[in-house]
Amino acid sequence: MPTRDMRQPLPMGVGSLTRGWAAVLALGVVGTVVGIVGYAVERTQGMVATGMRDLGTMQGATWGIYIALVVYFVGVSFAGITVAALIRLFRLDKLRGVARMAEVLTVVALILGALAIIVDLGQPVRGVINLFRYARPQSPFFGTFSLVISGYLFASLVYLYLTARRDAAVLARRPSRLQGFFRLWAAGYEDTPEQRARDRRVTFWLALAILPLLVIAHSSLGFVFGLQVGRPGWFGTLQAPAFVVLAGVSGVGHIIVLAAIVRKALGLERRIGRDAFGWLGLFLLGLLATYLYFVVVEVLTIIYQPGVIEQRLSEALLSGTYAWLFWGSVATLVVPFLILAWMALTRTWRVGWLVTSGILVNLGAIGKRYLIVVPSQTHGQLLPYGVGSYTPSLVELAVTVGLFSLGAVLITLFMKVFPIVDLETEASTELEEVSA
Amino acid sequence: MVEISRRTFIKATAATGTTLAASKVLFETVDSVAQAEALTLAPTEDRVFTTCWIGKQDCGMSARRIDGRVVKFDGVDDHPRNRGTLCPKGQAQIASIYDPHRVKTPLVRTNAKGVPGEWRRASWDEALELVAAKYREVAADDPKLVLWQKGRSKAKSFYDKAFVKAIGATKLGHGAYCSDTGYRAIEYTVGLHGVLHPDLLNAKYVLSWGWNITNAGGNKFCWLTWPQQMVQAREQNGLKIVQIDPRLRPAGPFADEWVPIRPAGDLALALALCHELIRQGFLDRPYLTTYTNAPYLVGEDGLFLRETVGEGDEAEEVPLVWDEATRRAVPVTEATSPALEGEYTVGGQTAKTAFELFTEHVADATPEWAADKCDVAPDTIRRIATEYGTNARIGATTVVDGVEVPYRPVGIMAYHMAQQELGFPALRAMAIIPMLVGAWGAVGGQLADFTWKIHKNYAKFEDLKVEEPPYDFVLNKSKFFPINTGFPGIVARVMQDPAKYGVEKLPRMVILHMVNPVTSFASQADFLASYEKFEFVAVISPWMSETADLFADVVLPSATIEKYEGPLSAGDGYIDAKALRMPPMDPLFESRGEIDIYLDLTEKMGKLTGEGGYIEHLNKELKLAGTEFELPDGSRPDVRDIFDRWAKMEGLSGIDFFEQNGVWVKGPISPTKRYGYVTDPPFGGAVHRLYGESLLKAQRLQKEMGADEVYWRDYTPFPTWRTPTMEASPPEYDLYLISYKLVEHKQSRTSMVPLLTELSGHQRVEMNPATARRLGLKEGDEVTVESHHALTGETRRVKTVVRLTEGIRPDVVGMPHHFGMWTHPANKDAGPTPNTLYFTDEGYVGMTADAVFHVKVRVMKGGGAA
Amino acid sequence: MAIDLDRCQGCRACVEACKIENNTPSAVFWMYVFRLEEGTYPDTSISFLPRPCQHCHNPPCVKVCPTGARFHRDDGIVLTDFDRCIGCRYCEVACPYGVNFFNWRKPEQAFADYQLKMDDPDLAAVTGGLIPPYRNPDLDELQGDEQRRTAGSAHYKGVVEKCTFCVQRVEKGLDPACVVTCPVEALVFGDLEDPNSPVSTYLRGRDQFKLLEELGTDPSVIYVGGTPPTPDAREIERPMTGVGNANA
Ligand SMILES: Nc1nc2c(c(=O)[nH]1)N[C@H]1C(S)=C(S)[C@@H](COP(=O)(O)OP(=O)(O)OC[C@H]3O[C@@H](n4cnc5c(=O)[nH]c(N)nc54)[C@H](O)[C@@H]3O)O[C@H]1N2
Ligand SMILES: Nc1nc2c(c(=O)[nH]1)N[C@H]1C(S)=C(S)[C@@H](COP(=O)(O)OP(=O)(O)OC[C@H]3O[C@@H](n4cnc5c(=O)[nH]c(N)nc54)[C@H](O)[C@@H]3O)O[C@H]1N2
Ligand code: SF4
Ligand code: SF4
Ligand code: SF4
Ligand code: SF4
Ligand code: SF4
Ligand SMILES: [Mo]
Repeated sequence: MPTRDMRQPLPMGVGSLTRGWAAVLALGVVGTVVGIVGYAVERTQGMVATGMRDLGTMQGATWGIYIALVVYFVGVSFAGITVAALIRLFRLDKLRGVARMAEVLTVVALILGALAIIVDLGQPVRGVINLFRYARPQSPFFGTFSLVISGYLFASLVYLYLTARRDAAVLARRPSRLQGFFRLWAAGYEDTPEQRARDRRVTFWLALAILPLLVIAHSSLGFVFGLQVGRPGWFGTLQAPAFVVLAGVSGVGHIIVLAAIVRKALGLERRIGRDAFGWLGLFLLGLLATYLYFVVVEVLTIIYQPGVIEQRLSEALLSGTYAWLFWGSVATLVVPFLILAWMALTRTWRVGWLVTSGILVNLGAIGKRYLIVVPSQTHGQLLPYGVGSYTPSLVELAVTVGLFSLGAVLITLFMKVFPIVDLETEASTELEEVSA
Repeated sequence: MVEISRRTFIKATAATGTTLAASKVLFETVDSVAQAEALTLAPTEDRVFTTCWIGKQDCGMSARRIDGRVVKFDGVDDHPRNRGTLCPKGQAQIASIYDPHRVKTPLVRTNAKGVPGEWRRASWDEALELVAAKYREVAADDPKLVLWQKGRSKAKSFYDKAFVKAIGATKLGHGAYCSDTGYRAIEYTVGLHGVLHPDLLNAKYVLSWGWNITNAGGNKFCWLTWPQQMVQAREQNGLKIVQIDPRLRPAGPFADEWVPIRPAGDLALALALCHELIRQGFLDRPYLTTYTNAPYLVGEDGLFLRETVGEGDEAEEVPLVWDEATRRAVPVTEATSPALEGEYTVGGQTAKTAFELFTEHVADATPEWAADKCDVAPDTIRRIATEYGTNARIGATTVVDGVEVPYRPVGIMAYHMAQQELGFPALRAMAIIPMLVGAWGAVGGQLADFTWKIHKNYAKFEDLKVEEPPYDFVLNKSKFFPINTGFPGIVARVMQDPAKYGVEKLPRMVILHMVNPVTSFASQADFLASYEKFEFVAVISPWMSETADLFADVVLPSATIEKYEGPLSAGDGYIDAKALRMPPMDPLFESRGEIDIYLDLTEKMGKLTGEGGYIEHLNKELKLAGTEFELPDGSRPDVRDIFDRWAKMEGLSGIDFFEQNGVWVKGPISPTKRYGYVTDPPFGGAVHRLYGESLLKAQRLQKEMGADEVYWRDYTPFPTWRTPTMEASPPEYDLYLISYKLVEHKQSRTSMVPLLTELSGHQRVEMNPATARRLGLKEGDEVTVESHHALTGETRRVKTVVRLTEGIRPDVVGMPHHFGMWTHPANKDAGPTPNTLYFTDEGYVGMTADAVFHVKVRVMKGGGAA
Repeated sequence: MAIDLDRCQGCRACVEACKIENNTPSAVFWMYVFRLEEGTYPDTSISFLPRPCQHCHNPPCVKVCPTGARFHRDDGIVLTDFDRCIGCRYCEVACPYGVNFFNWRKPEQAFADYQLKMDDPDLAAVTGGLIPPYRNPDLDELQGDEQRRTAGSAHYKGVVEKCTFCVQRVEKGLDPACVVTCPVEALVFGDLEDPNSPVSTYLRGRDQFKLLEELGTDPSVIYVGGTPPTPDAREIERPMTGVGNANA
């Protein structure tokens, strides 16, 4: 789309609206609308429109795909910020190109995670208010949702803001329709060495601070399940580390996919090189290997569960109702592992295969999250209620589509108002050069 | 409570309105259940007494009312039957009052019969006139051709009896479906109107013989009084319960032993128990020789030897016994020491005592013999006999309220299980068990009613009338059923083929009161076929019954609980009490109480006043006749006033006594009324019939008149085993279908109460998992159940779903009553009634014309092979 | 509350009394009675197990509630403040006893399952349009020192509810509805801390157990006269528990 005046085009495709971009956005908007419609149905009919039902006599699962998505999104955000922080902390220059992406991913995933909680609430408006008004930090997850997750969202926003301030300052100097916006973002930042040093310090400490926050957020996620005495299958010592590792797997998977798309769309073959993908691939491989080890341990432990109810649950997982999902998820993790291992051995990092792996591991991660949330409810009743069942309804699927689409929309929009990739690596570039 | 005037309230509402609107959005308090404004004004609250309208024991209830609207029923603390408690049905009837699907106004049919009805609303006047006009037409021919039919009765049936008598109609009840075969057997054997129950509070060892303890009534009660007494007896006397039933669920946790008997094997088991009790010597000789016909001498012709005693008008043929003291046969009235056993030569012929004959009769009925028939292990039978005999403590006595009474803490509870082909002989044999050990009328022993009032059938059965055709359409005094309960199912057969039964005149119109034959009664096919033959059908019911839906010309809406009925017996067997059903609110919609409806009807028929009119019969039935409280003839009485007069006649202040107290507790029933040994005369004067001489006589008359063997074969002096007809079905019909009640439902009259359908909302066929495995079925599978008529080869089918339980014999499947309705949205798709599957013609009725809830079936997956 | 399994007939009168007193919609069983079966034919045994909320002294549901809507009163009753509850259903997953019920839709719609056409004009003339027609006004009262809204009037769409020990009755000195109706007095209510209360006397000297005691929830519902259900217990005669079109 041509711009009205002859102002200079902005880098990284910012401000220039291409057809492919519009198509992606349109698709995202359509998906988001589907989600909104789904949610509207849920609001007007009540949550009876979902496939969730009460535990006990109603033999349902009272938490379903929404909560699985909460866990999943928070996991993705975790990985995003970790990767970004690691890159900046350890100055992994080859990966500088994906740092901003990871930050954006974190913010978006956190927003989606928060939304996934909201759509799961019976009284959402009251929820937004009461969660703060009466917040009880003692309550894992939701208490921490209000404090930690929102704090965490705030922190990542600040982080994103600060790390991008320099780029904003650069862009603010150019005449463009977005100039005002960039000025606002830069907020007087002139990229003087002092400012630069100060910002670097702040971001460094912020990165350091975000990490423990993360650990808290994630431990509390683990507690959501791990501390429930009355839900067989929800505790175990491996729960927490496995959570974290799988979060990493899905997050890195996302970054790979996103990076590949951005690289292609913006023609950044140089900035985001094969070696960057190599790094990411290796990273993912390492995480996957660890996670698969956990899976083996998990399978072994659940096979040798004590308790009759636990055994019933394992049966449902390994050979019963949920077997297809369990083994399907395992397969979507094993296959990318094999692909990555093969590429690592042959040292040929093919972007296509990496993307495939990135997508697969995310499917696997969603599957595993679902398996954490649902079977312990349907098959884990300690009183003789009989086995329950849960199938997500169309409404829930629509809302799920909506959430992912919204994520796509947010990232797509971000790409057009701000460079999704750092303008140049710090070491080699001065401001003047960029504007030249 | 703070009084808020309406005005202040409205102001306050306006003031807070805006704030509320805002906070509503924010805090989403919008979706609470609709609140009427009236509620927020200080409501007035009160309580009124009434009684349960659902169940047959009319538990006392107090209705909590808010501004005149009933919000909850609670039990009445002083009511001996329920002591402040209610069962689930009693609770849930609150929902049925407000059912908007009740029949709201009188309805007149506008479409053809035999298909679901289309109706127009009519005024009471028009609807009543339609019924009355038809009545006048039929009565001009013969009022007996007007049939009046009632189901499970509620309250003392004074007002309906009076109605039937006033209009001269023929009456049919529901009893032929409800243990009447047992009633007849016990009336015959000991003279009491009831089936079998123990003196539960004092019993130690009870054979729960098809007693559905945790679900249903047993003898006499609806339900909850028995469990209360059972729990008390277990805690205080260590009562042991042996559940003799194809299913375990009836006694559930309270079964100390479960004897999963094969359906219809009861007679064999009872005979074997008699065999064992005699063999092991558990005999109460003094009782047997004094109070039963066991010592009577039976001649070679099977009849008692008799001698004329007295002269002229006083002359009486008295049976002879062998007097040990004088060593000769003497009239029983003169004997001092009658022999129980032995063979004697009297007047040239050999005579044996009835007991001697019985010993011979059961000599072959060994546990091994019975095991083959009832599938109970011989050792179990022997052990139960020993336990029963030992626990009977023959010879022991105890003192109750200063009266010394024999103590035999063993008993049998049996009721609806009597509805089997050999029900009459089986119940006779079961009544002989306590006879052997002298437990009848003893403390802790066998009872059948709460007092020893001898029923008129006891004498009537001494001389059974068997006449030549033509017969009336109920087949009274016929060669088919010398003892005849009045079986709607047989009437339905007669209406289809009157010639076969020697009947000339068929009923022309029917008035149905609280009965739904099309679904409650077997066989459905017969009711469908026969009801078409009525010229006119009037139904009095709060709901559109299925029978009404298909056949009614006029439906008259009756009230449910919101009406006067009574007087109701309120005793629990130990304490005597009376109660009344009183309306907790005005009849809803345009409905009316039945008494009002009958007053209306008789008025229109011209039968209200005058000689033989409704008022005269009301006076008679309520025993007001001749007292100062008699209803004045000439004007239509007010219903409340009828009961007011009755209460005054009983010596109370009036109906206000019940309005204030809920129940009239008269006090404990004296042991001299409860225990047969100490009544005056003992056992109400009835000689217990071990030997059924009059049955033999009836059989001979039946044969003489050319009745087929199916009709006379069970008229035997001793209960005699034969293989039930259903056993002749081919082997692929490999399962017995039985039926029973669920605690959540009362017959069909609760099947539309949503609070109950929620708990138990769908028909099922209950089955052992082993059977299911064999048939390739699992829980919840859709199946077809097909019954087979062993004599005609007819088959019938229904579709339902499988429910598994290990507590049922693998060769038995069960389907409860309560389902198969279609007119009410709350139970439309609840599945079929088993009554579609049962047969009610020869081979599938008892010898007393009573329904049989047994048939052989097969169960097939899905729709079943073609 | 004490529950005597030696007496319970499994009749579910308590279930009905609870539903009527507290006006709970269809498929909601604040009180529930299991009918259980064990063993194989003919060595089969049947048992009954009533299950109200256990009103735990150490209630996991209270611990996890993010807004304090689920709270534990000094008198031991565990209640839900319907004005605070956000409908996250965390209490429900945390409770090992399956006693919580979420309002999946508007209560009117839930009641519509009862097939009582609430908008029937002839009926409205009698009941003033109340839903259900036997609506109990006591449920609108605020309870306790804190005057929180706790009982069944709050069948709000989107919030969680459960057995309240009939707080609206108990505060007036009445026994809970389930206790009063039980035909065989299998349920006994009272103050467990008062050694002279009916429930304490009832329990004295009898073998007791609590449900899932090993979880440390410390229920205030105490069972006597039976044993805890084993994991092999199979439920028979389950009621209709579906809601709306799904799962029905
Ligand atoms: N398969 C099977 N069938 C059985 C049995 C079984 O165990 N299994 N049990 C048998 C037994 S024991 C019995 S007693 C019979 C009972 O059979 P019924 O006596 O026929 O059954 P109910 O359900 O009591 O009454 C049925 C009709 O009464 C109407 N009704 C309800 N309340 C009132 C009222 O207040 N006034 C009026 N006028 N009508 C009212 C209802 O709408 C309904 O149409 O069923 C028998 N049928
Ligand atoms: N909840 C509830 N209570 C009721 C009623 C109701 O409809 N619902 N109805 C009331 C009425 S009208 C009546 S008549 C009474 C009936 O009270 P009960 O006689 O106690 O109850 P039913 O359920 O008819 O009992 C039939 C029992 O006989 C068993 N049975 C079936 N066939 C055989 C057999 O061949 N041999 C033996 N030994 N047992 C067999 C069945 O398994 C079942 O347990 O209940 C009254 N109480
Ligand atoms: S036992 Fe029968 S009479 Fe008593 S409350 Fe229950 S249904 Fe009514
Ligand atoms: S009312 Fe009593 S006997 Fe009936 S199920 Fe409840 S606790 Fe058991
Ligand atoms: S039973 Fe469940 S809901 Fe009740 S107090 Fe205990 S944990 Fe909470
Ligand atoms: S559903 Fe309500 S009561 Fe339960 S945990 Fe959430 S906010 Fe608390
Ligand atoms: S105590 Fe009240 S709220 Fe709780 S189960 Fe009993 S009746 Fe229901
Ligand atoms: Mo009956």
